[in-house]
Amino acid sequence: MTAEGNAQILDRGYRRFEGRRSGVWGAIRSTAWHSTRSVLGLGRKARHKVAPVLVIIVAMFPAVVFVGFAAFLGGDEFVRDALEGVIPEFSELPRQSLAAIVLFTGLVAPEALVRDRRDGMLSLYLSTPLTRPTYMLAKVMSVGGLIALVVLVPTMIYLIGLTFASLGPDGFGDWLVVLARIVVSGTLASLLYALVSMGAASITDRRAFASLSVILTMLGTLTVIQVLVEGADLSLNWRLLDPVNMPLEMLARMFGDLGEYPELSTERVYAANAGWAAASSGLLWWRYRKAGS
Amino acid sequence: MVSVSNVTKAFGDVVAVSDVSFTVGPGITALLGPNGAGKSTLFRMLCGLAAPTRGEVRVLGRNARTDVAVRGQIGLAPQQDALFDRLSALQFVSIAAEMHGVADPEANARRMLDFVQLPADDPKPVGSFSKGMRQRVKLATALVNDPAVLILDEPLTGLDPVQRRRMIELFNELGDAGKCLLVSSHVLDEVARLGSKVLVIAQGRLAAAGDYHDLRDLMDDRPHRIRVRVDDSRRFAAALIDRGLVDGVAIGDELEINTSDVDGFGRGVAPTARELGIRLREVAPVDDDLESVFRYLVERR
Amino acid sequence: MNGSVSSTRVIAITYRVLLRQLVTKGRVIALSLIGGVVALLGWAVGQARNDEDFLPNEIIEQIRLDDAVATVTNVGFTILVPIVSLVFAAASLGDTREDGTLVYLWLRPMQRWPIVLGAWLAAITVSLPLVVIPMSVSAYLHDVGSELVIGSALGSAIGVLAYSALFVLLGLMVKNGIVWGLAYIILWEGVVAAFGSAAAKIAMRGYTSSIVSERTGVDIDIGTLAQSTAVVVPLVVAAFALWLASVRLQNLEVA
Repeated sequence: MTAEGNAQILDRGYRRFEGRRSGVWGAIRSTAWHSTRSVLGLGRKARHKVAPVLVIIVAMFPAVVFVGFAAFLGGDEFVRDALEGVIPEFSELPRQSLAAIVLFTGLVAPEALVRDRRDGMLSLYLSTPLTRPTYMLAKVMSVGGLIALVVLVPTMIYLIGLTFASLGPDGFGDWLVVLARIVVSGTLASLLYALVSMGAASITDRRAFASLSVILTMLGTLTVIQVLVEGADLSLNWRLLDPVNMPLEMLARMFGDLGEYPELSTERVYAANAGWAAASSGLLWWRYRKAGS
Repeated sequence: MVSVSNVTKAFGDVVAVSDVSFTVGPGITALLGPNGAGKSTLFRMLCGLAAPTRGEVRVLGRNARTDVAVRGQIGLAPQQDALFDRLSALQFVSIAAEMHGVADPEANARRMLDFVQLPADDPKPVGSFSKGMRQRVKLATALVNDPAVLILDEPLTGLDPVQRRRMIELFNELGDAGKCLLVSSHVLDEVARLGSKVLVIAQGRLAAAGDYHDLRDLMDDRPHRIRVRVDDSRRFAAALIDRGLVDGVAIGDELEINTSDVDGFGRGVAPTARELGIRLREVAPVDDDLESVFRYLVERR
Repeated sequence: MNGSVSSTRVIAITYRVLLRQLVTKGRVIALSLIGGVVALLGWAVGQARNDEDFLPNEIIEQIRLDDAVATVTNVGFTILVPIVSLVFAAASLGDTREDGTLVYLWLRPMQRWPIVLGAWLAAITVSLPLVVIPMSVSAYLHDVGSELVIGSALGSAIGVLAYSALFVLLGLMVKNGIVWGLAYIILWEGVVAAFGSAAAKIAMRGYTSSIVSERTGVDIDIGTLAQSTAVVVPLVVAAFALWLASVRLQNLEVA
């Protein structure tokens, strides 16, 4: 017989959660993290990881190859001078992976957005502390972070690899400046690609067609503008409408380089990117203003 | 008509169906099991839609996966709702008839739609149909080629009570006509109205096969529960216990008896009532139903 | 009661059913717009006049022809032809596999190859006009002569037939056929095929572009194959892809 003082009721069934709640920021972080996991296929079978991992590897390829090439030749003064113009500058490296970047945006944004709309998860998200703007913020964080894997990370690997091969920037101060430029420009470029791809992906609830929409928006616009400028001899300012090259052009200008299109002024390049960001954000707002209700 | 021999189906590390063997002849056989038990996987193998990892499946003596002709003898109403959404019901069923080489496909399609009480001349695409209407389109499609073997995966889902009753009558007619029907369902009281032949699948294994009344009798590790109504419940209960005819008694407005020896109880209950001068008003088994059998077979795992 | 179903009948039935499923307003409008852009580009490039008035007319005409061929091959054969083919062909049997309606084609007393052929025919019925018409119009609007028009029409038609067969197979091989198809178009055809004439033989774009290049006499980056090779090889590849698709359909596990 147990004395009353030692008696315990161990399970009353359902109880409210009385602990600390993480609030809106916690909801944003966990939504962003869950989206990231979903896109990369983490926690799912291996076949869900194949496509994103393959594309990331392809994007890393140029950085790894150039670092390997430079390291093989060695790090003396003669080699440094010889390699100038052969291996790309830091601002030029992302351009080597342009195809992979475009393809990756076509994979990431649809996976992050479409499933929630299609399966009704969006309504569930909106029944939490998340609102439409904070939900979108979480998605931008996720998509932008993922795109940074193919825009920013290869350049970081390039910097670290060249540094180890004694072919990096002279002096620690310069090295920090280059690092900061890589991080800031890469982050901004990733964010731009994220917004454009999310805007294009938001127009349909079918993932395959969302991928198609992203690819056509990016690749199709790029190709059409190339033809108009080179074939139809239209003004070079038409290139400002190219959502694929303008972020990389902005990235180059942040390094103080002239980029691929030196005829375009830096102010116009920044304005064009701001325009794409605004237009994409506007499209996202319009598509999501009633979604999930 | 349908024969399954030592069939196992594995999807990677997951064994969906494990070493199942049975044969099914004309009439209705219900396939019961909880969600994820392997019923749909088994049905897919019967139709040849999936190949068993081990073992053999034969429908009318042939393998539906490789034999073109036998596929014309099988009618399947699958569980999923998807149909060719842009076609009307008549077009959908007519095309199925055409694909089976049925003579005068449209006339047959109309007959089948009439059978399942869908208007044949409705031009609306099946994509706009309710779940119950889609279900009836699937049934009409499964029947349009007059198959010898019908495989119906949850055919009563989404139907209202009147439509369910009608479908059950239809299935009984088809079973009586010599067709082999395999029906899966969770609606146990209606499955019970389809006849008493069952196959119970749990966790991929065949838990039981046969008439569920006979299965109940085989469940000798579980006492039978019987409801008894008499004029003097307490005195009668005491007498039953004294005579060792029951394992336990619950006394309320009526008696609920637990006994491991149904036959002994059956022989002893009337003489006991006569000896005591008590009027016996009702003796009815409480758990001789399909749900009790099913729960016993599935829950004990 | 039931008879056997002839292969011709199976092709016809499958064609009818899948054609209806493929033609949606959204798809046709979106892809027509892309075709419209291609045609418009033809007009824009055709209207452009070089500033080098000091050059002889033959040189100017050659420059215009070069620009026209570049536009047709870079826009038409890189984007319009493969993407339109992908959208319809990957969906023809791929969608039925993903949504579960394939069972209504599979569990029938029919051979598999007529089903595949019917699906391919349904896909090219929609793709051919959406591709060949704008490509021909674009070529015409470039105003550089009939060889470009004939080459564009023939090249895009061959391209549609070949790509559609490949993507019908793709729709049966993988889930998300469109995403994998895009990866093929961008990574394989876009990047690998840029490695010159050797790579031209391993990308469909090499063959389709060669038809235009051979007819107009304009060299292209990807290299030029002989006309007969450029026509026959894609058709052989298409036939092989359709045969593989039939084998795949027979061995598929249908949900």
